[in-house]
Amino acid sequence: MAQQANVGELLSMLDSPMLGVRDDVTAVFKENLSSDRGPMLVNTLVDYYLETNSQPVLHILTTLQEPHDKHLLDKINEYVGKAATRLSILSLLGHVIRLQPSWKHKLSQAPLLPSLLKCLKMDTDVVVLTTGVLVLITMLPMIPQSGKQHLLDFFDIFGRLSSWCLKKPGHVAEVYLVHLHASVYALFHRLYGMYPCNFVSFLRSHYSMKENLETFEEVVKPMMEHVRIHPELVTGSKDHELDPRRWKRLETHDVVIECAKISLDPTEASYEDGYSVSHQISARFPHRSADVTASPYVDTQNSYGSATSTPSSTSRLTLLNTPGQLPQTLSSPSTRLITEPPQAILWSPSMVCGMTTPPTSPGNVPPDLSHPYSKVFGTTGGKGTPLGTPATSPPPAPLCHTDDYVHISLPQATATPPRKEERTDSARPCLHRQHHLPNDRGLEEPLGSKGSVTLSDLPGFLGDLASEEDSIEKDKEEAAISKELSEITTAEAEHVVPRGGFDSPFYRDSLPGSQRKTHSAASSAQGASMNPEPLHSSLDKLGPDTPKQAFTPIDLPCGSADESPAGDRARQTSLETSILTPSPCKIPPQRGMGFGSGQPPPYDHLFEVALPKTAYHFVSKKTEELLKKAKGSTEEDFLPSTSPMEVLDRLIQQGADAHSKELNKLSLPSKSVDWTHFGGSPPSDEIRTLRDQLLLLHNQLLYERFKRQQHALRNRRLLRKVIKAAALEEHNAAMKDQLKLQEKDIQMWKVSLQKEQARYSQLQEQRDTVVTQLHSQIRQLQHDREEFYNQSQELQTKLEDCRNMIAELRIELKKANNKVCHTELQLSQVSQKLSNSESVQQQMEFLNRQLLVLGEVNELYLEQLQNKHSDTTKEVEMMKAAYRKELEKNRSHVLQQNQRLDTSQKRILELESHLAKKDHLLLEQKKYLEDVKLQARGQLQAAESRYEAQKRITQVFELEILDLYGRLEKDGLLKKLEEEKTEAAEAAEERLDCCDDGCSDSVVGHNEEASGHNGETKAPRPGSTWGSSGSRGGGGSSSSSELSTPEKPPNQRAGPFSSRWETAMGEPSGSIPTTVGSLPSSKSFLGMKARELFRNKSESQCDEDGLTISSLSETLKTELGKDLGVEAKTPLNLDGPHPSPPTPDSVGQLRIMDYNETHHEHS
Amino acid sequence: MTDDSQRNFRSVYYEKVGFRGVEEKKSLEILLKDDRLGILPPHHESHAKVMMYRKDQYSDVLHALKVIRFVSDATPQVEVYLRMYQLESGKLPRSPSFPLEPEDEVFLAIAKAMEEMVEDCVDCYWIIRCFVNQLNTKYRDFLPQLPKAFEQYLNLEDSRLLSHLKTCSAVSKLPYDLWFKRCFAGCLPESSLQRVWDKVVSGSCKILVFVAVEILLTFKIKVMALNSAEKITKFLENIPQDSSDAIVSKAIDLWHKHCGTPVHSA
Repeated sequence: MAQQANVGELLSMLDSPMLGVRDDVTAVFKENLSSDRGPMLVNTLVDYYLETNSQPVLHILTTLQEPHDKHLLDKINEYVGKAATRLSILSLLGHVIRLQPSWKHKLSQAPLLPSLLKCLKMDTDVVVLTTGVLVLITMLPMIPQSGKQHLLDFFDIFGRLSSWCLKKPGHVAEVYLVHLHASVYALFHRLYGMYPCNFVSFLRSHYSMKENLETFEEVVKPMMEHVRIHPELVTGSKDHELDPRRWKRLETHDVVIECAKISLDPTEASYEDGYSVSHQISARFPHRSADVTASPYVDTQNSYGSATSTPSSTSRLTLLNTPGQLPQTLSSPSTRLITEPPQAILWSPSMVCGMTTPPTSPGNVPPDLSHPYSKVFGTTGGKGTPLGTPATSPPPAPLCHTDDYVHISLPQATATPPRKEERTDSARPCLHRQHHLPNDRGLEEPLGSKGSVTLSDLPGFLGDLASEEDSIEKDKEEAAISKELSEITTAEAEHVVPRGGFDSPFYRDSLPGSQRKTHSAASSAQGASMNPEPLHSSLDKLGPDTPKQAFTPIDLPCGSADESPAGDRARQTSLETSILTPSPCKIPPQRGMGFGSGQPPPYDHLFEVALPKTAYHFVSKKTEELLKKAKGSTEEDFLPSTSPMEVLDRLIQQGADAHSKELNKLSLPSKSVDWTHFGGSPPSDEIRTLRDQLLLLHNQLLYERFKRQQHALRNRRLLRKVIKAAALEEHNAAMKDQLKLQEKDIQMWKVSLQKEQARYSQLQEQRDTVVTQLHSQIRQLQHDREEFYNQSQELQTKLEDCRNMIAELRIELKKANNKVCHTELQLSQVSQKLSNSESVQQQMEFLNRQLLVLGEVNELYLEQLQNKHSDTTKEVEMMKAAYRKELEKNRSHVLQQNQRLDTSQKRILELESHLAKKDHLLLEQKKYLEDVKLQARGQLQAAESRYEAQKRITQVFELEILDLYGRLEKDGLLKKLEEEKTEAAEAAEERLDCCDDGCSDSVVGHNEEASGHNGETKAPRPGSTWGSSGSRGGGGSSSSSELSTPEKPPNQRAGPFSSRWETAMGEPSGSIPTTVGSLPSSKSFLGMKARELFRNKSESQCDEDGLTISSLSETLKTELGKDLGVEAKTPLNLDGPHPSPPTPDSVGQLRIMDYNETHHEHS
Repeated sequence: MTDDSQRNFRSVYYEKVGFRGVEEKKSLEILLKDDRLGILPPHHESHAKVMMYRKDQYSDVLHALKVIRFVSDATPQVEVYLRMYQLESGKLPRSPSFPLEPEDEVFLAIAKAMEEMVEDCVDCYWIIRCFVNQLNTKYRDFLPQLPKAFEQYLNLEDSRLLSHLKTCSAVSKLPYDLWFKRCFAGCLPESSLQRVWDKVVSGSCKILVFVAVEILLTFKIKVMALNSAEKITKFLENIPQDSSDAIVSKAIDLWHKHCGTPVHSA
């Protein structure tokens, strides 16, 4: 509680008149706020502010930091809910928001926003509504992304308030409605600028309803005439608009400027960046104000004026050359036009911003070719506003804005027809436009030609301008640069200067004095009366221009822009006074012109609809009175402006004037009378109205200030860009310089390099020559050396030769000595021989004599021999002939031999071919043989199969026979009939049974048995019997012949038995019955052959076996024949091994012994 | 048939049009040349003589049978063939009244079918004899494997059918004897059977598998409708005769498809 009290004390101290105390307390509060996070202090502050409206508290509240924002917003939200505190809390909110606290983004989430919207939707107090709407408009760019949730609320509010403007619920003062209208207009701009698609669709749906149609016609439609088509309507969509990404990169002031860009209302619009063609005119204004050169207009007018202006219009021009406007136009050009005339032509937004290097073509294009509109507007609007307000030009923009408001009435004042007449003056806009033409020309003229340009001067003027264009173009680059610089400087200069003074319209009010108030009043009426329709109608009749002009709500800016010169004048107040003096005498012609063009006043009725009548009446009533007193002349001018802003502006001015006059009239003690005091005497209602109005104005002002701040922010940014660009350019220049210097260096280095290279090559040559010389010397010397070497070599060889020669000579000497010795020896020998030879000589002589004798004898014999030689020649001839004959004989013989050889060779060939044929034949024969073999084999196979079949058949037959026998026996008939034969039959039966059991080979055995007598035994014997006892040689053949005779069965027996004996000695005979079957049958010839072959291979074994069998069977037979009883035993013997055979064997043995002996005896 | 060069150059065209018999004629020629059954030697010169032998043999055997009163003039020809065959192979029973062995039944079935195909009884006897001999010697090892091959190819062609057979446990009960031992004698009409036996004689007993598979495929719907093994077997033992020609043609196609040209197949 103590703290509470303390807070109360401190709060009261805040308002103390002592500055120091106030600062201290403020500091204490701020400290507290920074330390305390609770809501209490903030709440207290808010309460206190609501109570006292204390400025320091407001200051503290507006600078609240982050943690307290929630409390503040909660508190405000709380109070917004209460009707009593709503207005003040809204203004507090406005204060807070306009300062753009760091937590502004939280506003969208705060519960305050919905409640504010609710309040705007529900409240019926115009003041509250206006304040609220302004707060909302201020808030919107800060929280653009919140649009999503509340968009419909915004639109609803707009719909409600716009209908309010028209419907005027009974108790609402008309004056308020003007304010409301202005704020709704601002809201319209904001909403359209931010959410065009949604907004347009809302408008479409909302105003398609019949009950809203009137509102649309009267309120919304005029507003729509102040905006361009938003580009988002083309490229964007409803969703895209609400996309937070769209807003993320935009700051608050960006949003504001964005909204301003789409406005065509010069009081609202922003003309940044040469937005579009329709903006060109307005874009020129800033340019103008910035560097105050009017050349774009010059340009367009040159081209256009000559082309389109009819004689009548030119005549009009001269007439319209009112003094009030000329000085205006001249005043600014006179200061700047001379310094920088050409820039205007080439002005481009980019140049202003310094963003790019000044492009030449765009500078030329806009006025002439690409922008027909610019021409149109040049004549219509542009001409009318040679000193267009710098509404949006970077730094001075906000200033000029305020200037606008101040001076709106000025041009109207210059042309001041009586108010009532003005209403009918429908041609006014065009007149305005046209009477600027000469002004523009005047701009280009030197200061001396300040005066009006007469009609006669016009052609010359035009020519001058045309020629000037060229020079202008040449200068454009420099101009662009210098213009940029100047812009920067002026911008900064202006920034500083007018802030304090020009910001507020209130300030301006004091300057122009009472004179303006009347105008503003008039203008308000006129502005309200402005509808595009009258304009169109008037323009339609203007001739060739009209179709293009039909587009123009821009006329309105023209009209209002007229006032802009005042902005310049504001800085040159000394000039202003003289210029501003109105000249009523000029008005009649204007009006005459207007009437001359045959404009009926078709918009009379529209006036009343467009403007809140009451406001008009109210204002006009008062102002008329006042004006009569103050100025004596009431001047009103129609300006084609319907902007609610302007209406409001004028209202403000009028209100201010009225206020001061009222005060004077009332003769109050002091002009600075207190509101409360003032409110005492007049009807309280009026006072309240006035107070509210003041409040509203204050709100409006604050809103405009906020806008100004946004613009300032933006300007600063643009300025920064400009500076940056300039710096970059500087940097570029510096770089270029450096580059040049370096290039120079490079050049120098190149030259020196060349020199060095030349020197180097020279030195190289010198060196080369020296080297070649030295080389030649060396070569020579070497040559000499070689020669010397050769010489020495030769000498040495000679030396060698000499040495050799000496050695040889010595050897020769030795030889010679030897020879001498030798010869001496020989000599002695020769002397001996000599003696000998002498003796021999003697003998020789003797012999010679003998020889002579013998020679003589020889001669004698030779003579004898010659006599005998003639006979031998014949013999030789004979021999030769014989020889020849013999030769021929031999030759013929050789021939014969050769022929024989040939024949024999032929024979050989023939024989060989025969041989080949025979081989072939042989082959064929072989093939044939094979064939035949195959054939035979086939046949053989068939035959064999037949044989097999036969065999089977016989088997079957035998079986059958045996079967039959069996049956017979069973019958017993046989037994009874032949008892004697029973035994034999039984034996046969048994034997056959054996065959049945074992195999059919026993049959073969029988066959063998049958044929055994003649063939079988014949073969084995020679080999086996005699082979075994081989020593007996020749006895074999005789015995075989003996054996072949069938009359000697004993022999037969003896053979086999003897062989069997021998085999029995060598091997045990146990498998006799098994081997029996393997033997081929002896029946056929083949079988016999095979047996022979077989025997050759394995002589003894098979034969012996076969023999044993045959012999056994024979013995059996014989025994059968002898004794049947024995027979019964033999089969058993055959089956069994050898128990029984010994008995016959022993007998056989004995016999064999006998026979063998007999054989021996025989042989 | 062995080479493309030896093939009738029109055969491709014929096959497109749908005549398949063109090639078979050639295969018959080849068959005639080297007499796979071994009845006649390849040499024409000896044909007369060999044929005489065969006739003699036939008449001898027949005579013998008559002598032992195994057959009479009233005995059916087929039985005469059987007895002759039995006699020649040494399997003649002691009495004609003895019950027949299963292989004799096979012989009888084949003989019955062959009797329809061949007019002359000597020829007929020899062809039957050699055909049965071939089955018993050359294909002795193959025939037991055919059921397995049958399952395999049926699986390839129609696994569903096979699974159906398996679920009915009819796979083991199918009339394999009728198909593979009797070579469809009595199952297919002689005209169709001739074509199958041609293949068998010329060396491929696999054709039997494909005929069996094709029979199943042809009567698939009916077989699928039957659920018990007995019914299936019964049905398959008595299949309708009208579609047999198509079955054989398709079977030959299948055989070509799976085994390539007949020359390469064993």
